[in-house]
Order: sequence, then structure tokens, then C-alpha cells
Amino acid sequence: MNKNNKEHRLREVKCPTGFNWSNLKAELKAVWESNIKDWKIDFAYPVSFIRQLISPLVFLLPFLIYGLALVGGRYSPNLKQLVGTDDVVAFIFTGYIMMGFIGTAVWAMGFSIRRERWFGTLEAIYVTPSSRLGQVLGMALHSTVHQILGTIIQFIVIYLTFGLALKIEGILPALGIFALMMLALYGFGIVISALGLILKEGWVVSDSLYSIMMILSPVAYPLAVLPTVAQQASYLFPTAPALIGMRSFLIENYQPEVVGNVFLHLLALGAAWILFGIVVFRVTDVYVRKRGMLKKF
Amino acid sequence: MLKSSYQQSVLRSNLFVVWNELVKNIKSLLAYPAILVFWAVFPIFWFIPFILQGQAFVGGLESASFAQITGSGEYVPFIVIGAVLNSYVNTLLYGMGENIRREAYQGTLDYVLAAPCNKAYVLIGKALSESLSSTIFAASQLTISVLLFGMNLTLGVMLPVFFIVILLMLGLYGMSLILAALSLMYKQSYDLSQTIGYVFYIFAPVRYPVESLPTWAQIFGKLIPLTYALIIVRSFMLLGTNFSAVYFEVLALLIIDIVLLLAGFYLFSWMEEKTKKSGTISHH
Repeated sequence: MNKNNKEHRLREVKCPTGFNWSNLKAELKAVWESNIKDWKIDFAYPVSFIRQLISPLVFLLPFLIYGLALVGGRYSPNLKQLVGTDDVVAFIFTGYIMMGFIGTAVWAMGFSIRRERWFGTLEAIYVTPSSRLGQVLGMALHSTVHQILGTIIQFIVIYLTFGLALKIEGILPALGIFALMMLALYGFGIVISALGLILKEGWVVSDSLYSIMMILSPVAYPLAVLPTVAQQASYLFPTAPALIGMRSFLIENYQPEVVGNVFLHLLALGAAWILFGIVVFRVTDVYVRKRGMLKKF
Repeated sequence: MLKSSYQQSVLRSNLFVVWNELVKNIKSLLAYPAILVFWAVFPIFWFIPFILQGQAFVGGLESASFAQITGSGEYVPFIVIGAVLNSYVNTLLYGMGENIRREAYQGTLDYVLAAPCNKAYVLIGKALSESLSSTIFAASQLTISVLLFGMNLTLGVMLPVFFIVILLMLGLYGMSLILAALSLMYKQSYDLSQTIGYVFYIFAPVRYPVESLPTWAQIFGKLIPLTYALIIVRSFMLLGTNFSAVYFEVLALLIIDIVLLLAGFYLFSWMEEKTKKSGTISHH
């Protein structure tokens, strides 16, 4: 067909290109709609929705009960020696609330693409004139809000059961740290979602990375108990500096295990992970489409 | 004489079904080596944080508080045994229900259920393949843990432990049969099996002694077969006791197994009939 032909021109789809306000608005709308779509799927399965809401609490309880059984009470003199605070409950709680958000990055974002493939909707999404990353970010927005709801339930139950002695004035800077950590985790999640495009059994990689990150993050123990190599490796992920930073704002007498500006550290990690994620996603996206692997699973 | 040769032939056919189901599932597992390595190694990473937590909270490898409750202050072998036995829950409980569901996804469930054989033997084949893979994974995790954490294991204790593991597997078969039955009828049994997994995770003494829980939770925990299996195996391996010291727990585990297996087989046959009549077998 002649490209100058009127019929051909009518069939052409003009994709928005370039960075301008109109395109940004359109992309943000796509992110929002992707988020809404996930909420609709969630509400279609109420049992699953409720189960996922209480799961942060379910996974926290064994750490708490085990900690209390080990120490034989709430206060550990050994923990005080290591980080200045002896309150086992406050230490574990402030650590574990972050773990759910690692799950958000690894599972929800990483599996957003994979899930569309299972549903048989990936190709349809791929041909829409919007950024593919927008789809991933929409699902990330949904799962972040979902996780926040679960964390609120977690907080209420732990507060009512054990009582929590946290510094109120530290909440605002802690939220700032949280936002920076999420930025870096989104970058990490984008890398995982790119892996989901090429790997048939992507969950193995996701779960393995999650397990490694769980060990390298000082969730239920201070970094000091890790071997030196592992301590150094933990600085490559946002969770270690974020957890140390948040605890120093929230827990009375807490002595941070590392010195340095947590905000700058997290900003640098966020920029690096986002950039790395976008590059990996772009390369994988082109590779998968050229090979015609989009529908394979 | 004729009847006897007919019976022999039926037995051979049924064993053939069991064997082929076992071979099919093992082939399917071997087709994904990454999954094989994952289950053999990575569950260790899930309990390492608990060991590090122990070091941070008590500053050594023994806890006086643990010793008071369990008789042994060494929390590392306590955690390792809990995690290894819990891996049977992960593979057997989710595996059986998901196995049936996978047949529906792959479009082979209709053929399996229409095959001229007793479906109980298909289920036995599935259960045996799940048990075999679970045992390989558990043995691998235990070996790595022994090398990594310097645990002492005597071979003499492994025989009674293996017997208890078989009893645990029987109870889990019963539960997974119930889940498989629900999967036939309601399709999305995933949430149910995950919820049961949550109950096991909190109420069974996987990470901590059952005595650390409030009284109501202890009562609930004692309805779970994993609770008894963990108490017995830890008594054998950590305290060096024998069967006479834990006969009550062994008996309780046996009773729970019988109840769960009977309920599982009855429910599965009932649901199978119901789905065949409603024509919804291949729906997913």
C-alpha cells in the first residue's frame, strides 16, 4: 500500500513522543488507570484481598514471638550493647514494616508483566500507545497503597498488644526516608519486571533476590551481626540505610550502626537503581519483541 | 483361580497408574532445574535471619530462656529442624492442590479423570512424587545446615525421625486431599491453602516453642499435625529421648492422620462426582 495513500494515513496511529506536559498528563493517566484496574481485580476476590491485608501481621508475629521467647522478656541487654536500645518489640516492628515494601518491589512490580502474560492481556497492553513502564508503575502504586493499608493494621494490632514507645517527632523525617527508599525500590522492581519478560520461571529469581535482600537488611537484627562482606554488600540496597535512618528517628537512644548522611545515601541509591532499571527494561523490551517472545511462558 | 488372576491384573494396573503418575511428576520437576535448585537450597535463606536475630538478642548460640521452655538452649538446631519439617508443609500442602489445578490449566484434567482407573491411585501417585521431592529437598537443606552451622547429627536417631516424617506426610496428604477436593469444586483453592499456611506459620512451633504462645493459641496449635511432629523430632534430636517419652504425641499424630486421611478421601470422591455431574471439571 502506498504510504501517501489517504487510507493508509487514516490507519496510522500517532504515538505521543517527546517530553511535554500533554504527554506527561497522558502517561500519568495511564499509570492511574493501571492502578485502578488492579484495585478492581482485588475487589473481585474479597477473600484474597483480606488475606493479603493481614499478611504483613502474620509474617511479623513469628519474629516477635521468637524474639520474646529467646530473651525471656521484652528487653535484651545484648541488643542494648549493640545499638543502644533494648526494646525487642520496637526494634523488630520498625524493621519489619519495611519488609513488606521490599515485597511490593519484588513481587508486585516484578510480577506485573508476568501476570498480564498469564491473563493473556500482555500483547494488548503492549500495543497501546503508552509507555510500558507506566503499566509497571501503575501496578506499583496499587501495591504500595495496599501495603500501606496492611502496615496500618499491623501497627494497630502491635500497638494494642504490646504498646510501642516511638518518638512522635521522628515520624516526619522517617516518612521522608521511607519515600526515598521506595524510589530506589521502584528501580529495583523495574529490573525484576524486566527479568519477568525473559525468564520462564521468573519467580525463582524474584524469590531468591528477596531472600538475599532479607538477610542483608537489618530487619530483626543490627548490621553488626553480619559478616563484614555482607555488611558492605547491604549498602548497595536501599533497605539497610533506610532502616538505620528510620530507627534513629523513631527509637529513643538508638545508636546508628553507620555514620553518614542517610538522605544523601538514599538519593544516590534511588537515582542509580531507577536509571539501571530503566536501561535494563528498555534493553529487555526490545530484545523480547525482536525475538517474538512476548507471548511465551 | 480366574478371580485370583483377575485380581492380580487389577493390582498390576493400579500399580502401573501409580508408577506412571510418579514418573510424570518427576519428569515435570526435572524439566525446570532452576526450581529444583531453588527448593533444595533457598529455604535455608528464610531461616538464616532467625539465627542472626538470635545472635543479636542473646549474644551467643544458647538462650537460657529457650532452655527453660524446651530443655535445650541451642536455638540454631531448634530453628533448623523447624524449617526443614516445615518445608514438607510448603511442598505437600500447596503441591497436591496445585498439582490438580495445574492439570486443569494444562488441559489434562479431563483425561486424567476420564481414565478407566480408580482416581485414588492417581492421587497416590501424585502424593508419592510430592513426598519424594519433599524428602530430597529436606535432606539437602539438612545437609547444608549441618555443614554451615556445625550441627551434630547421629545416624541412629534418623530412623525414628524418618518414621515421624512419614506420619507427618500422611497428615499433610489428608489436608492436601481436602484442598484438592475444594480445588475441583471451587477452583481457587490457592487462598485457602495460603490461609492454612498462615495458621501453620503462627500456631505450630516452627520458629519458637508452642509454650511461648497464649493458652488459646496453644490449644489451636495442638490440632495441627506439624506441632506433634516437631515436638517429637526435637525430643529425639536435641534431647536424645526415645519413643516412650513421647508416646502421647505419637498417638495424637496418628489419630490426626487417620481423621484427615478419611476426611480427605471422602471429600475428594464426593467432589469428583459432583464436578463430573455439573460438567465443570475443566473450568479454571
